[in-house]
Amino acid sequence: MLLKPSLAPAFRVCFRSVPFLFLLGFLLALGGFLFARESKPEAANSAQLEEEPTIAGSGGIENHFQPYFGHDEDIHLDKTPPRLIMGLDLNRMGWTYNCMECHTHVEDIRYHREQKFEHENINLEHGNNRYCLNCHHPDNRNAFVDYDGSEIAEPNVTLLCAKCHGPKYRDWKAGVHGRKNGYWDLSQGIQYKLHCIQCHDPHSPAFKPMKPLPPPLYPSRAPAPKH
Amino acid sequence: MPSPDDKPVKTIEERIRPVSRRTFLKGSAASIVGMSGLVAALQPLLKLEKEDITLDQLLQRHYKEMTPAQLDKVMKRLQEKCEREYGVSASIQDLKPQDGVGFAYALNLTRCVGCRKCAHACLAENNQSREYDDDISMSYIRVLELQKGSINLETSNQYYDSESVPRKDKYYMPVQCHQCRESPCTKACPVNATWQEPDGVVTVDYDWCIGCRYCMAACPYDARRFNWENPKLEKRQINLDQGYLSNRLRPKGVVEKCTFCLHRTRAGKYPACMEVCPTGARVFGNILDPNSEINYILHNKRVYILKEEVGTNPRFYYFFDT
Ligand code: HEC
Ligand code: HEC
Ligand code: HEC
Ligand code: HEC
Repeated sequence: MLLKPSLAPAFRVCFRSVPFLFLLGFLLALGGFLFARESKPEAANSAQLEEEPTIAGSGGIENHFQPYFGHDEDIHLDKTPPRLIMGLDLNRMGWTYNCMECHTHVEDIRYHREQKFEHENINLEHGNNRYCLNCHHPDNRNAFVDYDGSEIAEPNVTLLCAKCHGPKYRDWKAGVHGRKNGYWDLSQGIQYKLHCIQCHDPHSPAFKPMKPLPPPLYPSRAPAPKH
Repeated sequence: MPSPDDKPVKTIEERIRPVSRRTFLKGSAASIVGMSGLVAALQPLLKLEKEDITLDQLLQRHYKEMTPAQLDKVMKRLQEKCEREYGVSASIQDLKPQDGVGFAYALNLTRCVGCRKCAHACLAENNQSREYDDDISMSYIRVLELQKGSINLETSNQYYDSESVPRKDKYYMPVQCHQCRESPCTKACPVNATWQEPDGVVTVDYDWCIGCRYCMAACPYDARRFNWENPKLEKRQINLDQGYLSNRLRPKGVVEKCTFCLHRTRAGKYPACMEVCPTGARVFGNILDPNSEINYILHNKRVYILKEEVGTNPRFYYFFDT
């Protein structure tokens, strides 16, 4: 904690430049790695996911992206999900921020408690779920970790929540927790379902308070309201 | 004995008003005066519509008695009226209830945070009259703020305007039409202008309603709204996807209400209030489908029916969750 203000930037620059040189030097090798990664996710644990909806297009160039939902003719309705998905494949200040650029060099900290050098913006407030590696895969930071240590590919992040929130996941699958958009009658159109992380920030999942939209006018002749 | 002058007996009418040439003239003069009086009396009615009421319109029948051809004609006329008055071409449809579909709604009181997005979406969808953009006084949804610990509507407050919701020790209960199976409103209507459709939705024939507001008095959920004035709407506020029994533009002096967005739901879509709910507190579906979300809730959650003791048997359920 004491180190934080002075040393953090220096460390960050160091970490950023190392992978950059690495990248210049081994451009071909890295390109090959990225290619391999792109084609891999499905294979990882396809068995139990078959019918699960995934978050399409995850890991875009922009930090904030939004999977498509809703219908064009409904522009008068604001269906924006409460939270924007970040994804794992990020760009920060013009640099690529691929998790593995650093994490091939950084030692894993199993019972990691506070970030001193990197990820200071992440403040984990997830009840008793206090360790980063309960969710993030230790060897592949571009994926999440299941019970048995196998990978949960990023687009299937809902299964990560499912591993600890069984009953909520069951409700979600039944369409009772979370929101559906589009068509209730599947024979007439497509239905969209918001994913857990479109409402809950995985690092601080309590639903955030919001400003209410304006109330109806208080009738002018009525006695003053009591609150 | 026959009477001395053998005239035939006069009918009572003839005795009171024997028609002579003189009285005939007098009578026709009076009726001309009467006619012009009637025309004068009708003037405000004619002005009301900013156009001459056509014969068609005067003779328009009840929704349920119209043939498809007649209904088409009426919808075409309404479309033209919308075009003329607002310069937008709406598409008015009359979607029919589907077999094997009964709509029902469930609302999760544990999730709702009282953000009022539903009440505003209702306005954006249903073409209610409004004084300014955010005027939700005609919205079909009222969001009540209640004290945690009991369900006491007496102390509820729909005018809360805090910096953020949910507030401490409060919970929120949006109330809208419950589409009751035993609907007091339809029973109170003296002219049958409001009735329950086969899919469970209580609708109003806006052209049949006489504006007596008995239905509003009968409703235990404050779910009906009355157009005291000609609806105030701007061109840009109009939703062009309109249903004959739901969100088409209403005239002055009629009652309107939530129809579960018939023009959407009968086309297979979700109602507007559900589409925008940020917490996912709203669940809509087909209660006749045993695998629907609604039946999942009825079987697995603690369900609460508002004012159950009134015996309205609503199609709108509240439920609690953990
Ligand atoms: C509940 C499981 C969970 C835990 C615990 C968790 N994460 Fe995450 N993390 C996620 C998920 C899911 C995402 C993807 C977020 C998204 O797409 O918006 C993510 C994204 C990230 C990202 C990239 C996006 C960003 O916000 O920068 C970083 C870095 C990260 N986590 C670091 C950490 C660190 C460090 C910890 C421990 C302090 C931690 N995570 C704990 C689930 C978790
Ligand atoms: C710029 C280099 C860098 C990048 C890129 C990076 N990390 Fe890290 N990460 C670190 C450093 C350094 C630590 C150790 C931080 C500390 O202890 O203060 C760390 C720690 C973590 C931890 C805590 C557990 C552990 O092993 O120490 C998690 C989880 C994590 N990173 C996830 C991610 C994810 C997910 C991404 C991709 C979105 C990512 N990181 C990208 C440098 C990086
Ligand atoms: C490793 C297990 C684990 C994983 C994985 C996990 N959680 Fe949790 N979650 C917990 C625990 C433990 C709590 C605290 C429960 C409590 O305090 O009663 C919790 C609490 C929550 C809460 C309630 C927070 C509050 O303050 O009310 C939410 C919401 C939540 N998690 C969402 C998620 C989402 C979304 C994901 C997937 C990104 C996720 N969780 C993944 C273990 C987990
Ligand atoms: C439409 C938004 C939305 C989606 C999608 C969603 N949730 Fe929630 N969730 C909420 C809200 C709102 C609450 C209630 C507020 C709170 O307790 O923080 C909640 C509460 C929870 C809680 C805490 C329950 C409690 O008793 O406090 C857990 C755990 C949870 N959600 C898990 C999940 C999981 C797992 C998923 C995905 C399978 C998910 N949620 C999807 C909105 C959502």
